[in-house]
Amino acid sequence: MAAASGTNDLSSDMELDAFRRLFPLRFHERHLLESIRPDGRPLGRARDTTLSLGAVASANGSALAKIGCTTMLAAIKLEVMIPIAEAPDEGCIAIDFHMPPICSPLIRPGRPAEVAPVISKQLSDTILSSGMIDLKELCLVSGKAAWMAYLDIYCLDADGALFDAALLSAVAAFSHLQIPVVSLNDNGRIVLMSEENGENGGSMKKKEPVNKEKIKLKLNSQPFSLTCVLHKNYILADPTFEEESIMETYLTITLDTNFQLVSLNKPGGPGLASTSAIQDCIILARQRVKELQQILNEAISDMEVD
Amino acid sequence: MAGKSSAAAATYSPSLTGQRKKRPPIQTDSEWVRPDGRGLHQCRPAFLKTGAVNSASGSAYAEFGNTKVIVSVFGPRESKKAMMYSNAGRLNCNVSYTTFASPVRGQTPEAKDLSSMLHKALEGAIILKSFPKTTVDVFALVLESGGGDLPVITSCASLALADAGIMLYDMVASVSVSCIGKNLLIDPVSEEESYQDGSLMITCMPSRNEVTQMTVTGEWSTTKINEGMQLCLDACSKLGKIMRSCLKEAASGPQD
Repeated sequence: MAAASGTNDLSSDMELDAFRRLFPLRFHERHLLESIRPDGRPLGRARDTTLSLGAVASANGSALAKIGCTTMLAAIKLEVMIPIAEAPDEGCIAIDFHMPPICSPLIRPGRPAEVAPVISKQLSDTILSSGMIDLKELCLVSGKAAWMAYLDIYCLDADGALFDAALLSAVAAFSHLQIPVVSLNDNGRIVLMSEENGENGGSMKKKEPVNKEKIKLKLNSQPFSLTCVLHKNYILADPTFEEESIMETYLTITLDTNFQLVSLNKPGGPGLASTSAIQDCIILARQRVKELQQILNEAISDMEVD
Repeated sequence: MAGKSSAAAATYSPSLTGQRKKRPPIQTDSEWVRPDGRGLHQCRPAFLKTGAVNSASGSAYAEFGNTKVIVSVFGPRESKKAMMYSNAGRLNCNVSYTTFASPVRGQTPEAKDLSSMLHKALEGAIILKSFPKTTVDVFALVLESGGGDLPVITSCASLALADAGIMLYDMVASVSVSCIGKNLLIDPVSEEESYQDGSLMITCMPSRNEVTQMTVTGEWSTTKINEGMQLCLDACSKLGKIMRSCLKEAASGPQD
């Protein structure tokens, strides 16, 4: 125990990197005393965030989101399904979150990460319950055909706040989604207009498109989230992987663009969150939602210029 | 989400994918026109960048036309517990595809054979003795598949290994050639690969002039093979230069 009590003195002799690895919590707590974090951020600030739309050419909609080093690639592929009898006017959205072994040294092939299905479930709950997308918008021919939107999100680099980045990329992919113009052929299948014309050329008369006016999906209030680490009395917004792994607990708050609470998630952990801490987190989340909304709008207008 | 599982099997893509695009008739006298308008002996524009994944020891991103690949290298790190003691280091390779890599969802190729091909292409170039008892993991993710996937993965993996500081005899560059009729097409795209008569892939270490892997499939005459090999080797040495300059750029960047 002599070593533990002597760390304060030891730290002055020790190399910074060695101290960081041996006593990560002490290293971070010393920063917290000065109200700063090892990467130079104040406690309440999120990392630099960038967003680019249309990263995957083979998908109908896609987006690449980067929060600090955490990178997420989301892509949507549209397929046609026959709607279920209970909801003949509704399409469907299937959301899947993947953590391939490239994203983190902790993940090995064949052994999927434990957090991946958790985040996957959280994402589909959030997106489907937020009311961002009206499933009726995905209808093509009532009772006969509707769109099935497969949204796959890949984590390319895992460095904390995975849910925030995944949600941002998912929302951005939906706002980039371009619905192809399709028509109903003689066999009752939905086919692309361009291919229909190309294959059969002049021999057949042109079919009427079934979704002429629905090229873009109408998005209602979009959800955005902020994860905060709670450690003693400190609240750290948008934690890195290192911060997430050593500190007591975290809280993920999802708000929509009208600042309505969509979801709030505190996955246990040794630390308990007081009501005032939760309120402080919500205030931070409100600021972050404004930032993220602006980033998304800029990405969309950049796309339109190109 | 109740409808998800029941509906999943019944969905189909609206594009007419059942029928493959028919191969255009071979005209013996005229030149073949490639779908992207390239010359027969012209490679796709290549973009390479190291340091794509921060949490890996080394990583690289490669984009050749529509083929986009990320490779992360982890280690050298502890081998699996069940592994026997070994004087030489081990190399572990894994290739996977995203679900949206191919034009139709869920039609991505089987990646197991690619993993073993990648392993064989790289192991000859790595100085395994420099990290005894430990393992280097090379993981590749194909973000988008646009043809010539394996050569792109191999070249990108070699760049990622160099970025991770793993000792190599030389960088490994890989290029493939498709044979269609009497024409040899370098660096084919998916469409060309789908109706090729034969293919040839060479993976080599350009500055040592050594080939680590070569695969030939289909029907080839001896003269065609020679011509194809020469094409590949020339392209490999050019690709090797691009890879080198990419590493140099990354090394000189932070000091500016």
